[in-house]
Amino acid sequence: MNRKDTVKLISADEMEFVIDKDAAMVSQTIRNMLTSPGGFAETELGEVTFPEISAVILEKICQYFYWALQYSR
Amino acid sequence: MSNQKKRIFQIEAFQNRVVVDPKYAEKTWKILVHAIHEIYNHNASGLSFEELYRNAYNMVLHKFGEKLYSGLVTTMTAHLKEISKSIEAAQGNLFLEELNRKWNDHNKALQMIRDILMYMDRTYIPDTHKTPVHEPGLNLWRDNIIHSGKIQSRLLSTLLELVHRERTGEVIDRGLMRNIVKMLMDLGSSIYQEDFEKPFLEVSAEFYRGESQKFIECYDCGDYLKKAEIRLNEEIERVTHYLDAKSEGKITNVVEKEMIANHMMRLVHMENSGLVNMLLNDKHGDLGRMYNLFRRVPNGLAMIRDVMTSHLRETGKQLVTDAESLKDPVEYVQRLLDEKEKYDGIISLAFSNDKTFQNALNSSFEYFINLNSRSPEFISLFVDDKLRKGLKGVSEGDVEIILDKVMMIFRYLQEKDVFEKYYKQHLAKRLLSLIVKLKTACGYQYTSKLEGMFTDMKTSQDTMQGFCSSHPELTDGPTLVVQVLTTGSWPTQPSITCHLSFEMSALCEKFRSYYLGTHTDIKAIFGKGQKHELNVSTYQMCVLMLFNNADRLCYKEIEQGTAIPASDLKRCLQSMACVKGKNVLRKEPMSKDIGEDDSFFVNEKFASKFYKVKVGTVVAQKESEPEKQETRQRVEEDRKPQIEAAIVRIMKSRKVLDHNNIIAEVTKQLQSRFLANPTEIKKRIESLIEREFLERDNSDRKMYRYLA
Repeated sequence: MNRKDTVKLISADEMEFVIDKDAAMVSQTIRNMLTSPGGFAETELGEVTFPEISAVILEKICQYFYWALQYSR
Repeated sequence: MSNQKKRIFQIEAFQNRVVVDPKYAEKTWKILVHAIHEIYNHNASGLSFEELYRNAYNMVLHKFGEKLYSGLVTTMTAHLKEISKSIEAAQGNLFLEELNRKWNDHNKALQMIRDILMYMDRTYIPDTHKTPVHEPGLNLWRDNIIHSGKIQSRLLSTLLELVHRERTGEVIDRGLMRNIVKMLMDLGSSIYQEDFEKPFLEVSAEFYRGESQKFIECYDCGDYLKKAEIRLNEEIERVTHYLDAKSEGKITNVVEKEMIANHMMRLVHMENSGLVNMLLNDKHGDLGRMYNLFRRVPNGLAMIRDVMTSHLRETGKQLVTDAESLKDPVEYVQRLLDEKEKYDGIISLAFSNDKTFQNALNSSFEYFINLNSRSPEFISLFVDDKLRKGLKGVSEGDVEIILDKVMMIFRYLQEKDVFEKYYKQHLAKRLLSLIVKLKTACGYQYTSKLEGMFTDMKTSQDTMQGFCSSHPELTDGPTLVVQVLTTGSWPTQPSITCHLSFEMSALCEKFRSYYLGTHTDIKAIFGKGQKHELNVSTYQMCVLMLFNNADRLCYKEIEQGTAIPASDLKRCLQSMACVKGKNVLRKEPMSKDIGEDDSFFVNEKFASKFYKVKVGTVVAQKESEPEKQETRQRVEEDRKPQIEAAIVRIMKSRKVLDHNNIIAEVTKQLQSRFLANPTEIKKRIESLIEREFLERDNSDRKMYRYLA
């Protein structure tokens, strides 16, 4: 049920974080992943796995995304 | 007491040092190579971006960036070699398409690889000053594909062939062309120029050379120009569609050079259709086209101009030396006017009013008009003729227009003084003949005043000169231009009661003494020019002199200061303050009419193109009622003595005459001048009787007798 554009970020211990695409795009890396012209798995499924990032860290990262969005407007 | 075991905290280095054995690097690299392969084979969907990214990240982090980079280069090279083979294998038309497709693929792959290796781009590259991934990608493409022997030449020839085909009228795939050209441009502008543009320009030059040769054999000038224009537009369109914008200038130069510059001479001098022919036949469309095309080429316009000038001089010379037209000056000048009009039309329509052409036209006209030394005479005869004829049939507006045109021709005359002399003669003849006619029609007295006017003009000019030469110190004061008028001849004006300012009066006195020294009992009346070289009437001058002492005056003050009658004052103020371009004074409020409460200032912003400015008086449009009455009255007054003189003449001869007969005779005598009113005649008789010129007969009340 993706009402708007959302992506799923999956941490090493398989915690799933669903955030807006805009938030995710704050990160260049994620942005490139999602907008790459090639048919990578990420683009297809709309989810990115981070086998080396723990959930706690990933949670903080997501919070950072939203903070960045809020203050850049 | 607790036995505190001293724990020695040893801070050890990170336990988590990732094992970076070379094997690890190898492994990672293998993964990446595999990925690149997959990418090139369009199989990327099975891959995880994140994983690859992580791998690349790790490699760089653990100082294997070098390996990564070089490995990348080798892999890509290998791939591209394969690709070039497949392109070479493509047949005929498919060649370009194949190339295009592979190029697109390559671009996509390159993008993906760059994304994966983003971290390397960001950290490793700046450190080692290598070029970011994208560039080697392009360079490799260039080296392996474009510059691979077989492909390069084939590419070029295919492209040129396509262009050629389009020029000969076929339709080609422009989109494809555009992509290929864009590819070349993306690879670097030097590539584009070397590999494509230069040969393109050369081939085009050759093509157009051949074509222009062919055309010029078959077509005449007008058609050739049309074709050239078409080709030029075509090339421009081609550039906008699928070539680099910078090429536009270059290709248009080529076309211009080949089609126009090389054949300029020939085109212009082509018989039966060249420039001369176009001028003769007023072919404005062709001329306009020629102008536009030649304008692009250096010296193109100069050539047109030269040919036009020489042709014009030739025709002009013929005109002026043609024996036929010399017999009839009117015809002669008319033809000159026609010629001028025609060329004016050509320049404005076809040559878009180019100044240089206008100048050329002027100089040619000047040249040949002055070839014939009798031109001034003819022109004045023409004007004479038109003015005479002008009275019947032709409206005044038309005459004005014709005179304007003649004025233009007049400017070309070098010997304007010859014209002046002739014109004076003709003018004098015209006027004299007019006066003679009037004389024969109406009698001497009628015309004596007119003659008096003319002689006055002449004598006043002589007097002026005499005055100026005898009083040389006056040259820096206000200049005095005096017309000396015989009171009897000129329409009487109320004598001027305005107060002249001090310096003017001094001048007037001087002149008066000089004049009276040379002539006796003629009253001197003045009209002047002013020190700003303003040419004004006497009243205006007085008003202006008032402003010498004050910056601002109201109407009442001016009226008092000058004692000029109100209607005249209003008129002269109007002409000085309300006329556009000649408003020496500023008025408040800014309305057209002069009211009693208006105030006036000197207009500092007064500017005029000319040094001498003539401020005329606003013409009293129609005589207002009172003025009309006045004029009528004056006429009546004038008639009275005439009637009296007539009565006396008749009575002297007849001695005795009765009333009715007197009236009849007097009316008959005065018939040529005016229709006498019987009551008026009666009144005159009465007054004569009072003055004892006549008497009533004692016996018959109606008879009158002349008294000696």
